[in-house]
Amino acid sequence: MKERRSFLENSWFWVKLFATAVLCYPLFRFLHYRIPQKPRLVKVNQQLLEGEVYLAPDFVLFQGETHAWAVSRSCTHLGCRLNYNEEEHLLICPCHMSKFTTEGKRIAGPAEKDLSGFKAEKMTGDGKGYIVTLIG
Amino acid sequence: MNIAARITDIKWGEKSLISLYISVVSGVVIALQYDPRHPFYSTVSLDMLIPFGSFWRSLHFYSSQLFFLFSAVHLWAVIYNGAYLRLSMPKWLFLVGTFPASILLLFTGYVLRGDTTGESAGIIAEQLCLTIPYVGELFNSVLFAVSEEGVKRVYANHLIGLGVIWGVLAWDHLRRFRANIVNYGFLIVVTLSIALLWDAPMEPMQPGMSHISGPWFFLGVQEFLRYIHPLWSGVVFPVVFVIAVAVIRLEEPWRKRAVLFSIAWLCIYLVATIIALLR
Repeated sequence: MKERRSFLENSWFWVKLFATAVLCYPLFRFLHYRIPQKPRLVKVNQQLLEGEVYLAPDFVLFQGETHAWAVSRSCTHLGCRLNYNEEEHLLICPCHMSKFTTEGKRIAGPAEKDLSGFKAEKMTGDGKGYIVTLIG
Repeated sequence: MNIAARITDIKWGEKSLISLYISVVSGVVIALQYDPRHPFYSTVSLDMLIPFGSFWRSLHFYSSQLFFLFSAVHLWAVIYNGAYLRLSMPKWLFLVGTFPASILLLFTGYVLRGDTTGESAGIIAEQLCLTIPYVGELFNSVLFAVSEEGVKRVYANHLIGLGVIWGVLAWDHLRRFRANIVNYGFLIVVTLSIALLWDAPMEPMQPGMSHISGPWFFLGVQEFLRYIHPLWSGVVFPVVFVIAVAVIRLEEPWRKRAVLFSIAWLCIYLVATIIALLR
């Protein structure tokens, strides 16, 4: 009889613990979620010639033969701000020396992922320059 | 008496405490002008616009460095001369805990500069926190969160949070061992002179910068981060040193093992730091 009561008491404890965990789960999931940042439009009031590069705090804008493109300046290793090396035509991380092509492809160093690319549109009409859409 | 014994006889703890007093006073003065919304602008204003701003920043920088260095030598001295054996294990653990708290205090000070070193250090610290499984995000939210909050939380921790943690951990020790400021006139004059003669470092962002060095005590970690996964090189590796120092208080054979491990760790770290310095 005593053993049975003890077993029931123990079981009740585990049921309460399980119920608490079940109730906490939606709360943790809710708190853990990070709302993705709204896309941000950045205006570059400068017309680049073919082969020219524009360094903004969050991205690098390149003007190619036919189109312009932008890649993130945040290194995919630990987030340091990349710099553009004119001699090597590469984006280099000054913290741990990861290297990326101007298209954002990782070619050397501790970073494992490529850089994020952003949409860059040439302004038409009276406006001179580009609009870069930053996501994430 | 050999040289090591003479060195360990010096009251390093008292010197460390005096440097901490200077650091706290100069830090409070700087905080009255510093604006965490614009860290770099604030630091430049201190250096170039505000009367005696450069002096107060230098005084805070150098006294903080001295506080850390004297604390480190004090730690080594009490282990070397066996004075730590007079402490119980819980008290020893509390005092060992002041060591990472001091490093974080120093580190957050670098981040608050907002220059290239500070900005990169903040971002790297955030990413390192996030590599820790399960609790990384919580640690980052509490300590850094620079990408979402700028240096707001770093500032709060540097000014209050970490200082309180350090104070709580060292409280019992400081109740028993005090330093009389009158006896350390020479140290105070030397610290003031250094602050007058040399400006605290500052590295503005330059577009073509190919290399950024982290804080001097972080250089070893920075070097390892180039080759080893951030969780191992930036989190586990520094933490095992702190654990090894804590284990020194255990009985033999653990004591000897922990001492040997700590020495080996320091040698490896020194080599990595030298390599990073040569870059």
